[in-house]
Amino acid sequence: MSKQENVNDTFEHVYLPYIIKWGKLTNWTAVVLSLSPAMVLALIFDLMPPFSAIINGFVLIASAVGVVWFVEPISYFPIIGVAGTYMAFISGNIGNLRIPCAMVAQKVAGVEPGTNEGAIIATLGMAVSIVVNTVILTAGVIAGASVLQQLPKSIVDALQFLLPALFGAIFTQFAIQRLKLAPIVLVLCILLVVGVKQGIVPGFLSTLISVFLSIAIAVLMYKKGFLK
Amino acid sequence: MDSSNYMDIANSFWMWVAAGSAVTMVLIQAFIFARKSYSTGLEIGLTHEQMRGAIKSSAITAFGPSIVVLSAMIALLVSLGGPISWMRLSFIGSAMFEMMAASFGTQAMGVTIGSDPMTSMAYANAVWTMTLGALGWIVFATLSADKMDKVQKKFSGSDTKLMGVVASGAILAAFGANSATHLVALNKNTVSCIAGGLVMLVLNHIADSKNIKWLREWNLFFALLGGMMAAVVWPM
Repeated sequence: MSKQENVNDTFEHVYLPYIIKWGKLTNWTAVVLSLSPAMVLALIFDLMPPFSAIINGFVLIASAVGVVWFVEPISYFPIIGVAGTYMAFISGNIGNLRIPCAMVAQKVAGVEPGTNEGAIIATLGMAVSIVVNTVILTAGVIAGASVLQQLPKSIVDALQFLLPALFGAIFTQFAIQRLKLAPIVLVLCILLVVGVKQGIVPGFLSTLISVFLSIAIAVLMYKKGFLK
Repeated sequence: MDSSNYMDIANSFWMWVAAGSAVTMVLIQAFIFARKSYSTGLEIGLTHEQMRGAIKSSAITAFGPSIVVLSAMIALLVSLGGPISWMRLSFIGSAMFEMMAASFGTQAMGVTIGSDPMTSMAYANAVWTMTLGALGWIVFATLSADKMDKVQKKFSGSDTKLMGVVASGAILAAFGANSATHLVALNKNTVSCIAGGLVMLVLNHIADSKNIKWLREWNLFFALLGGMMAAVVWPM
């Protein structure tokens, strides 16, 4: 067996089954635990809203984000893989925190997205981002709203510009590696945003459309020999 | 049940226990996955140095966006109390979803967040709506993760380069879509987005051509800082 086959073997037959087994176990446990605040309110404080109100609230939120439940896991899967999908959808903050950390980790370790090595490094990066995020939020909630609201206004104002810079920076990092593909994808994305504004493209589908059209264009260019 | 005591319940010991149990589960999973990834990484030929670099750089990278999440948590904190805000943003969390779900939940009880006084029951229904509204993501992701992997493998076969091409197409699209929203807006967000990209471009070039490892770990941090500063000072 060659070294490469050996590597694939370990990843496919040892690592992935382990991740799938524990991912399912921990995620289903998380589903049950996510109900615990509602249970505490019902059982300890005797606060059980009428069934109709619970259903009413659920229908409102489902009609607002129901499509996204399916669109996001599918769109993000090619980026974050199996382990990342288990982690990201119980820890949240995917586009603004999990994926950027995974991407920077891959870049620093010098591994490519889409490879086994890339998947391992991305998982490490996401796990670290979960710990950092939890520590910062925990410190924040202990410090309390009164302390946090005393942050200088200039800092609070500047923070609202952090995400645009993050998106631009990550896009650029990958654009450098895919100089032929990146401009096409960016033009496509801009057209889709304009399409959404004009009401031609439904907003909740625009990410899914851009992801799958871009994958299709990338694969086509690869098969035609334009991409390495 | 008047509006003054719902905060006592929202910030009670038992709510901390409930919220803490969910957050702990997320941390346990991160720990299990990280440990297995580290040991498998060594087995398939990654070095300690590569993996330590990955860990360090993602800790640095996580800092800035986490502060943004923190500022979103403050907004939730005021109307929903500590435990739930803390749990929701460590757990499923996107501030926009949680705010929307909370307002739908109280609305179903006839309370508008921000204008009407909150009642205990409206608070409880907000908790239900946030919880049930987010289950869709977890359930679908958990059911489909291993199946999507099979689909992807079938699609690209054993061509690892093709897998890389698919991944970069998806990454460029996801961040291109987010960037495009800000680029089209033509406001300070546009400035921040372009400046963030430019700082990244320059630092990447310096780090790669001079082979400066620490700069690679910090360049996203500086790109965020540069983007924010450019947007703040831009005359608009």
